[in-house]
Amino acid sequence: MMTLSLANVGEKNIIKKVGGNPEVKKHLENLGFVVGGNVQIVSTRGGNVIVNVKEARVAISEEIARKIMI
Amino acid sequence: MGERPDAVLNIIDGTNLERNLYLTTQLTELGIPMIIAINMMDVVRKNGDKINIKELSRRLGCKIVEISALKDDGVMTAAEEAIKAAQNGKTVPMHTFSGAVEHAIAHIEEAVLHDMPEDEQRWNAIKIFERDEKVISKLNIKPEVMKHIEGDIKAAETELDDDAESIITNERYIYIEEIIKGCYKKRNVGKLSTSDKIDRVVTNRWLGLPIFAVIMFLVYYIAMVGIGSMATDWANDGVFGDGWHLFGIGSKSYKEKAEEFGDASQIVNGYIEYAIENGVDTDDVVASLDTESEDFNPGNGKAALAQFANDVKDLKEATYTVVDEETMDSEEVTSNYNELIMAIETYSNYDCEEPDPAYYGVWVPGVPVLAESGLDKIGCADWLSGLILDGIVAGVGAVLGFVPQMLVLFLILALLEACGYMSRIAFVLDRLFRKFGLSGKSFIPMLIGTGCGVPGIMASRTIENDRDRKITIMTTTFIPCGAKIPFISMIAGAIFGGSAWVATSAYFVGMASIIISGIMLKKTKMFAGEPAPFVMELPAYHMPTLINVMRSMWERGWSFIKKAGTIILLSTILVWFTTYFGFVDGKFTMLSDDQLDMSILAAIGGVIAPIFRPLGWGNWQAAVASITGLVAKENIVGTMGILYGGSETVYANMAQYFTHITGYSFMVFNLLCAPCFAAMGAIKREMNNAKWTWFAIGYQCLFAYVIALIVKQIGGLFTNNINIFGVIVAGSLIAGILYMLFKPYKEANTLKIIEKARV
Repeated sequence: MMTLSLANVGEKNIIKKVGGNPEVKKHLENLGFVVGGNVQIVSTRGGNVIVNVKEARVAISEEIARKIMI
Repeated sequence: MGERPDAVLNIIDGTNLERNLYLTTQLTELGIPMIIAINMMDVVRKNGDKINIKELSRRLGCKIVEISALKDDGVMTAAEEAIKAAQNGKTVPMHTFSGAVEHAIAHIEEAVLHDMPEDEQRWNAIKIFERDEKVISKLNIKPEVMKHIEGDIKAAETELDDDAESIITNERYIYIEEIIKGCYKKRNVGKLSTSDKIDRVVTNRWLGLPIFAVIMFLVYYIAMVGIGSMATDWANDGVFGDGWHLFGIGSKSYKEKAEEFGDASQIVNGYIEYAIENGVDTDDVVASLDTESEDFNPGNGKAALAQFANDVKDLKEATYTVVDEETMDSEEVTSNYNELIMAIETYSNYDCEEPDPAYYGVWVPGVPVLAESGLDKIGCADWLSGLILDGIVAGVGAVLGFVPQMLVLFLILALLEACGYMSRIAFVLDRLFRKFGLSGKSFIPMLIGTGCGVPGIMASRTIENDRDRKITIMTTTFIPCGAKIPFISMIAGAIFGGSAWVATSAYFVGMASIIISGIMLKKTKMFAGEPAPFVMELPAYHMPTLINVMRSMWERGWSFIKKAGTIILLSTILVWFTTYFGFVDGKFTMLSDDQLDMSILAAIGGVIAPIFRPLGWGNWQAAVASITGLVAKENIVGTMGILYGGSETVYANMAQYFTHITGYSFMVFNLLCAPCFAAMGAIKREMNNAKWTWFAIGYQCLFAYVIALIVKQIGGLFTNNINIFGVIVAGSLIAGILYMLFKPYKEANTLKIIEKARV
């Protein structure tokens, strides 16, 4: 397992765990970051990433990307 | 969830089926008849993806129609279906969760929800299972009952090894995945979509910032320099000025003539001035050239000029001062006798009268001109026409003059927003701006603020995070806007001998103030907490529709125009009244331009002037100029022009009143203090709260005062004009600012999240 912030651009990954406090976790899950789902990095910029998850593009900051394990 | 509609028309985005159906599962649980309309079907087909609507409809147990809102396809059918569904009242079957969850939900329904209509039970039960505090407190569930339910929830959590909320979310997604497996085919599985490809380039690590810089330059250039300045000139000098040439017909030929006459007029008047200084009697020529006088006629003018040329033929050269109308700057010009003769010839060609633009092309008179002639016709009282012309038309006109420029700007911003680029800007700039305690989106308001603070403040609306937005609103007007430029040039010209670094430094002072304020405010209690981690949904890039863009532009523009009609109108009337009325020889009367030192405003200025004494410019003129600056910053120049007029040029008089230090302190204060009424109106509107509005304005004034004080007192150290007490105060203020800048951020106690779902 590693964090989403370490994934390479273009690689497809499967989400293994979503961390963070309940509020953040719930929000991420509503956006489609659920265990077992696919996530693909579209672009990175100084730790912030844009990912493709459940067909939607979501920009997340590094702190959040570190909470998602792949 | 107070009201229950008869039916729900659930419009979902076909290009993002899975997530949208996830939200649909939540809707079905409400137990209300539902119709699903799949939007953006045209895009789905274009992508080569296939949705088997019939199969999907069967699996979901819900009627589905295809629509394309963009092309107005199927929208009516969808609405009709929704009405049918409402009449027949059949609800959509709900999906089931896994055994442990269903078990707990059944228990919850039995324990607390059994006297609720059956349709509504499930949604509430699931919310209670998720421990949703709002629902629990709304249903008034007693703690002991909740304790009992808690056992069931815990059991489900242990069995499925996750927390209740995640269980529900996960199972919803699993259910949706199952459903669409057989009825949704994507052509480009695993391949990047066009939108992703654009993002690869636009938000690229190396290209992101340069691309952003180019786009912003274009926005700025088009809105402020290109179309924008043309539009503003037209509005200010045309509609709210003398008038304009319809479609520019005749503008060019008029301009040539006006310039020719203007040059001649400068020489003739200069010569007359010089002649007076040299003891030549000029009364006759001055009187004959007075076009305002009733017995003016071109013949007399020509004769008087010829006589004048004869009178001054011994003066081979004339040196005189020319004053620039915009900045009150003056310069020495020398003309010789030959030039005078030619100028007099030009005068004769024009019958000694300035060319009237109305004779060239198609001339449309401006609002003030129309109002004035209208008022003259009905024989309106002096004070009333003064109120209407100098107060209302001039004041509101100054504000409305910015409308065309703002509309251009709003149009471009609406385009950027509609096509999806705006949300990428935040991503590109976020890291950088986070260092100053601001969000990536704060940049746009500041950039726009260099043109005009009003649209700048309004542009802060795109920042979702409440604290970031408030800080941005409070600091945006620190940047020198277009209207502050004239008075900055005036200070530079009058006090610093036209040095260019004054204007340049004004931009640095503005930017530094934003950064310092951003960092300081983030550390106060009000803004403490998160350097908010951001999570933001990015809409796919798409072509904006004309209607949407125009509507967005108009909505923003109109709200500003409305403001100009209310708060700005009132303030301009007030300032006009206090400027033009006062006590002369114990009698309350209306004042002319050269009696303004008797006005109520001057009296007020005299009272508040001592407040500014520590800043080095505690005279009533400067105080009054600062007040009139609140109507519009360019007013400072006009007011200073009137108040510092007199025997010598305005610049010379100002140079007597101000030293370099106090002049700079005056400039800094007016640059940073509360902006004009229009911008304050925008602050009020965007803050949408009286307390925050006053806090913002108060902070700006206080910050301006502190910085101006530091400039004056510390500057005094270097010019041997030391006030020990002042230096101590300034020193401790600097120490305070430094302390705020370097003290650590407070730990975030809650993580707040920015969300955006705009398509």
